Amino acid sequence: MIYKVSYVVSGGRHPGAIMNEYERPQLGDRVEIGDKVFEVTEVLEMTPPRGDFQYLHVTVRLVDENENP
Amino acid sequence: MELVELLKTVELFEGLTQAQLQRLAEISEPARYDKDTVIFEQGQQGDRLYIVGSGEVVVRVGEDPRSARTQVYLGRGQIFGEMALLDGGPRSATTVCSRNGTQVYGVSREAFTNLCKSDTAIGYVVMRNMAHDLSFKLRHHNLTLV
Repeated sequence: MIYKVSYVVSGGRHPGAIMNEYERPQLGDRVEIGDKVFEVTEVLEMTPPRGDFQYLHVTVRLVDENENP
Repeated sequence: MELVELLKTVELFEGLTQAQLQRLAEISEPARYDKDTVIFEQGQQGDRLYIVGSGEVVVRVGEDPRSARTQVYLGRGQIFGEMALLDGGPRSATTVCSRNGTQVYGVSREAFTNLCKSDTAIGYVVMRNMAHDLSFKLRHHNLTLV
């Protein structure tokens, strides 16, 4: 299964990202978008799966540079 | 990763057979970019769409680079530049590589049109998937406005 993910950043003006993932994102996962690191806070199905693809809406928050992973 | 295997992971080509993917691979032209390299600029004439094989690009809208708004980051498996392929108009946004060593594949309108004429099933599947991709991008954009 390939997860096509819409990463939406909460609480800010960041435009987020769209990318494929080969493992389903989980709460607490970290993802790099541009030159910043974000943490997954919510994972929802966006639309029904089609073929080998599953479509996810993932909300993330910006990780403070001083936060430990 | 072999190109055909990569193309299998691109939603745009979901539903194509191995033989059809092989034909698409034959008209896909690889290019590698480093961070901050402009792949194309808003307003330019566009004659191809691009597939992100690895790495990341950023899509920006605005004539003036200093005040351009970032619309979205696109990672592996995503397509960009498809609007110019569909409507023949100028590029609607500037796309810049945002990670060193980003691998993209370009497919020219002419080569794609010729391929679709020789195998109309490819054209049907890709256009259906392109509509789905545009819908996904619109949903993403709407969610970023909430």
